[in-house]
Amino acid sequence: MAAEGFEREPVAALQEAITRHAQSSLGTPWWELSSRGQFNAVALAVRDFMIERAVETERRYHLRDPKRLYYLSIEYLIGRSLGANLRNLGLYERCQQALTGLGSDLGRLEENEPDAALGNGGLGRLAACFLDSLATLGMPGYGYGINYEYGLFRQEIANGYQRELPDNWLAHGSPWQIPRPDEICIVPIYGHIEDATDRHGIYNPMWMGWRALIGFPYDMLIPGYGGHAVHFLRLYSARSSRDFDMQIFNDGDYIRAVEQKIQSEMISKVLYPSDSVIVNQELRLAQEYFLAACSIRDVLRRFEKSHQDLRDLPLRIAIQLNDTHPALAIAELMRVLVDERNLPWEEAWKVSQKCFGYTNHTLSPEALEKWPVSLLSRMVPRHLQIIAEIDRRVQQRIAAAPEPALLDRISPIDKREPQQVRMVNLAVIGSHSVNGVSPIHTSLLQNSLLADFCSQFPARFNNKTNGISPRRWLLHANPLLSDLINATIGDRWIVDLDQLRSLEAHEKDSGFLEAFRRVRQSNKVALCQFVRDELRMSLDPHSIVDVQIKRIHAYKRQLLNVLKITYEYIVVTEDGKTPPVPCTYIFAGKAAPGYRLAKQIIKLIHEVARVVNSDPRSEPWMRVLFLPDYRVTLAEKIIRAADISEQISTAGTEASGTGNMKLALNGAVMIGTRDGTNIDISNAVGEENVFLFGLRSAELQVMREKQSYRPPALCEQDSRLRRVVDAFRSDLFSRDEPGLFSWVPDLLLDSADEHIHLADLPGYLDAHQRASHAFCDRECWSGMSIRNIARIGSFSSDRTIREYARDIWEIQPC
Amino acid sequence: MEIETEKKDGVTIALIPVKELDAGNAGELKRLMAPVLESSSSVVIDLSRLEFIDSSGLGAILSWLRQMSERGGDLKLCGLTKQVRSAFELVRMHRIFDIFENRAEAVRAFSPR
Repeated sequence: MAAEGFEREPVAALQEAITRHAQSSLGTPWWELSSRGQFNAVALAVRDFMIERAVETERRYHLRDPKRLYYLSIEYLIGRSLGANLRNLGLYERCQQALTGLGSDLGRLEENEPDAALGNGGLGRLAACFLDSLATLGMPGYGYGINYEYGLFRQEIANGYQRELPDNWLAHGSPWQIPRPDEICIVPIYGHIEDATDRHGIYNPMWMGWRALIGFPYDMLIPGYGGHAVHFLRLYSARSSRDFDMQIFNDGDYIRAVEQKIQSEMISKVLYPSDSVIVNQELRLAQEYFLAACSIRDVLRRFEKSHQDLRDLPLRIAIQLNDTHPALAIAELMRVLVDERNLPWEEAWKVSQKCFGYTNHTLSPEALEKWPVSLLSRMVPRHLQIIAEIDRRVQQRIAAAPEPALLDRISPIDKREPQQVRMVNLAVIGSHSVNGVSPIHTSLLQNSLLADFCSQFPARFNNKTNGISPRRWLLHANPLLSDLINATIGDRWIVDLDQLRSLEAHEKDSGFLEAFRRVRQSNKVALCQFVRDELRMSLDPHSIVDVQIKRIHAYKRQLLNVLKITYEYIVVTEDGKTPPVPCTYIFAGKAAPGYRLAKQIIKLIHEVARVVNSDPRSEPWMRVLFLPDYRVTLAEKIIRAADISEQISTAGTEASGTGNMKLALNGAVMIGTRDGTNIDISNAVGEENVFLFGLRSAELQVMREKQSYRPPALCEQDSRLRRVVDAFRSDLFSRDEPGLFSWVPDLLLDSADEHIHLADLPGYLDAHQRASHAFCDRECWSGMSIRNIARIGSFSSDRTIREYARDIWEIQPC
Repeated sequence: MEIETEKKDGVTIALIPVKELDAGNAGELKRLMAPVLESSSSVVIDLSRLEFIDSSGLGAILSWLRQMSERGGDLKLCGLTKQVRSAFELVRMHRIFDIFENRAEAVRAFSPR
């Protein structure tokens, strides 16, 4: 299916638009522009096309007045937009021709675009894929987020240690952002409640003494594939309400006036890295409230343009909370309905609850957000009152509960001192739908993390398995494979990923197989070239490319991967046994700046790499490397070249995972645990086409309950484990700094190791051995790879969005 | 800055003469309004010129109502622009004030039935 966007747009018209923007928007003739300037001119020209379609889309929606979805997310991990937008608009090839004619090159210009890294990982990338799917499906749905001036930090490696540098992605402005000064909103914050009575003698709390923030919206346009619908992602920047607080200025304290302005603008200054200690971070709470308040104001403004009765709100809008970060939106909507629009509480609650859906993304009780009551009382006193009222009414409703402790657990406010607001409780109670993101995750939510809620509100719980955008993760990320697929089965797969199934019919077709291997090999050669340029390191493009690319975190178990590499190194160097095929182990990922263990793991990977890569005994057989500054653009380069996809989180810890889907879609074969969507991918592509290992979540649960994990005993039984542990005891990877990795055996031999590394290591080693042997059989490996691609169709975010639309949002294509 | 006042049917009508009422001028306005409030037990405040009001401005108007109530008088508002009305609603002040479209309606509301 060819994109139906601008296929008739002549190349000359594109050239005219580009050179016009060079001249009139950038003030420089095209031929005098730098590469970055040329990128801006092209982006502005593309933006014009998108604006045209966005206006048409909005007009169509306005006439048909469909129900709309508003997706609230504190993160959007967008990456670069130029190439992806051009492909969705059907303009990529013609733009390439236009630029060739202008003496430039599209690929080169794309490299000038900074990644929009307004997210940490899966949660933010999911949001970006969802917006792509909503626009492609023509379902009226829009994203709301924060326009962080600094995205996720840039990662540099110095002597094996991670260093964080600011990511000032907006330093030169972004051609994609459209400022909307006419749609700013005022957001009150801080202040106090003045108790009073109204004209009828009824209690009337008044929120006084607040400071006003300005939410200044910037729209990024989101073109669906084919250009039929162009939506927007609205990102808010925080501004001071006045350039200076006049009273302070008049008093002569200029510095304090400036400080207050800066303090206001700080709110959208920087994205918080995940896993950092967010507890009691006032600025983070201000961000969450700012997003909630700006979004609700804008959603209501849009609704009230063509509707009057707020009781109709759930018929016209749905709001999805991507995790609990925007959950204050529930209190904000209630505040507006009750305080400003005079709806009785019960009516407002019904309206609000029918509007909200909540997606949970975690299984870790420690990761659930809580905010001190004292902080909310200072920052959003009226919202705290509303949450307290929700709390009171919940208690009333379930007062007859058989177990009194249930009331305490379910209440939005944890009454133990110091009192805290539990955001997950607020989100579940305030929403009509609560969903997990994979079947196992949802089941664990229902039976464990949120079991109390499930017992009270069972109908709310449902599963929506995550998905990825085929446009971003195959069409854009892997043009060679896309072209081959198009030539083999046509291009319907771009909007209907299940179509890939028909690739299986070509599995034995020697011509296709040959072309398939050529494509994969070309991608591997390109990655080797990239690594040579970046790290000055040469790789064997015929080796297995084995990748673990994701945030560095204990539960994702990069350490387990290191243990496997360690064992392989020992076998090669001490036993003289070589593996059946050389292997290149690639790591990439960022550690949260305050997460010590994750940063130690990065150092460990680098020291293991240094030893393995410089040992002449192992060097021909194994290479280990860490590609710095993992981001969407780097992921695209690695994923298309990967043979093996490492998805080895501890069972029961990864809610879904989407890296596993991206890699399978590009033909990598998974070595994975039975965790998150690994299970579903395995079911979809066939267990014979992946390499599963490790304890299941239920087995682990039993082990924990019985406290039966005894790592020293495991070492005694299995010499492989012993040798690995001894390698760290003997400073194999830290000769110059003895004891540097003494934490590794300490962690491994501790029966409290919640990620049971040594329990899963034997199975993991076996899985690798099986994978290496399978790789040596070209026919076998190509077959597995093709079946992974062909059977991954149900993991398209288009499927996910259709399910949300059908079951939760009740929106339709329009 | 000067407060324009007029008297109608025994009611004092005061026009707030600024477009913006915020921390920068709320103090001065309070000072200027004091004699107006002291001179009458029935006051209408005309906010029709006001386009922006912040928390300090709202606080000033609330203090006028409290002063009048303490003295047994009454104060009504009229001429709120959309933005100012929104600010009142934001803090729920619209529930404690008598608010009218225009001066005539506000003055009429003081008349004995």
